Amino acid sequence: VRRALLWAGVLAAAGCQRPETQVDLHIFAASSLSEAFTALAPGFEAAHPGVRVRLTFAGSQTLRLQLEQGAAADVFASANAEHVEALAAEGRVEAARPFARNHLVLIVPLEDPAGIESFAQLPRARRLVIGTPQVPVGAYTRQALLRAEALYGPGFSAAVLSRVVSEESNVRLVRAKVAMGEADAAVVYASDAVGGAPVRALPLPDAAQVPAEYWAAAVTGGPQRALAEAWLQGLGAPEAQAVLTRLGFEVGR
Amino acid sequence: VSPPRGRWPVALAAAPMLLLLALPVGALLASSSPSALASGVRHPLFGPALALSARTTVVSLALVVLAGTPLAWWLAVAPRRATRAVELLVDLPIVLPPAVVGIALLETFGRRGVLGPALDALGVQVPFTPGAVVLAQVIVSAPFYVQSAAAAFRRVDRDLLLVARTLGQGPAGAFLRVAVPVALPGLVGGAALAWARAIGEFGATLLFAGNLPGTTQTVPLAIYMALESDVRAALALSLVLAGAAVVLLLALRGVPALWARWHAVRGPEEAR
Repeated sequence: VRRALLWAGVLAAAGCQRPETQVDLHIFAASSLSEAFTALAPGFEAAHPGVRVRLTFAGSQTLRLQLEQGAAADVFASANAEHVEALAAEGRVEAARPFARNHLVLIVPLEDPAGIESFAQLPRARRLVIGTPQVPVGAYTRQALLRAEALYGPGFSAAVLSRVVSEESNVRLVRAKVAMGEADAAVVYASDAVGGAPVRALPLPDAAQVPAEYWAAAVTGGPQRALAEAWLQGLGAPEAQAVLTRLGFEVGR
Repeated sequence: VSPPRGRWPVALAAAPMLLLLALPVGALLASSSPSALASGVRHPLFGPALALSARTTVVSLALVVLAGTPLAWWLAVAPRRATRAVELLVDLPIVLPPAVVGIALLETFGRRGVLGPALDALGVQVPFTPGAVVLAQVIVSAPFYVQSAAAAFRRVDRDLLLVARTLGQGPAGAFLRVAVPVALPGLVGGAALAWARAIGEFGATLLFAGNLPGTTQTVPLAIYMALESDVRAALALSLVLAGAAVVLLLALRGVPALWARWHAVRGPEEAR
């Protein structure tokens, strides 16, 4: 038995050992970047042999909290400037820069149970979902509702918010409730309506639109600081910008 | 049982697990201060979440006891062959991840769910309402009560019931006047466990009932959401919930002992 245990230990130790060249680049990114960063990772790995990109997606505020609690990441990408700036002010991230933009759209389930054809008809909904005030999409949505009062009169925002049945902690959970048909409508990013999600997108009027700006930064003292910088610079490269554009983001000036 | 010299290695081997269990609770207590607790209690999420948790868990506990007791009795008295499959079903929510329960509830009561169109025709909306919170709590907590109650009912001496019947009690009278009082410690213990599970319910609630302060945001959800804006509030909410759990646990241990003592004083064994 003792010999068996010894062998088990040796095998376990061998199993834990990685090839010496393999390093992990840990990237924390906003939920809305899921497809974009997933698409960018293989190219980065090919350009940097021995590097494995590990992606974590969640609401930007959740990732900020984790970084504040000492999570070991190398890059942080947020769907707004606020969470990056807050972390920079605490000395937790550095070399922050914007790299993409997005705008808001209204989505409804394919069968459109509430018969919503425009942003103005949003108070028709029986059930709405929205991001929490902390998640960027939730903050942008509340701004858009207030801006829309210039078009639809005071009380529009309150009328819409009174239909909210749930506050979700990231934009993909918001989208999921609409895709499942449980919510009549929701506001998400334009890039969230691109691709396979079974939802129909409607535009917001220009006067209500709130531009979303994506910021990325390197984690101060992160394990792979040089690779983090390479990822950040890569986001500005034409290949990455093409991927972001294809997936519904806006890039350049 | 073992000689005193042999106990030390056992105690030493037991220590790591004990430490691991005690450490997080201790850390939670150590991280708090009266002022932090006070500011947490004043947090706008705190009051509504606590009130909602109290309200929904009282309702769900009542439903679990009312609907679970007959099921537990049936499990205790029906032939083993018949109960085996049912017991498996009763245990299922314990082993199912709460997120799975949440999705399953949406697939049942959601708009595209099995009962969705029928409920919609009646004008009844279940998901994202306080009723959904209760439903999620009932499903995840019922197994704890039903199992415990069934075990307690199985220990009830059948001869006692027969005696009650011969003394003129109907089946319902025999059940309520004999079986329930004899099994009461087990019923109370099961109810307390079920209540504790309902108070802590998070995953199924988040998916099925959503998260809206004052409507469906229970204390566990408020803790999760508060963490993203105000860590102190999350900590204060955690402390309150931990305190409630400790009180519940003490009651769980204390009630059967008190019950036994009370019966020993009043009961036929008092001559002992």
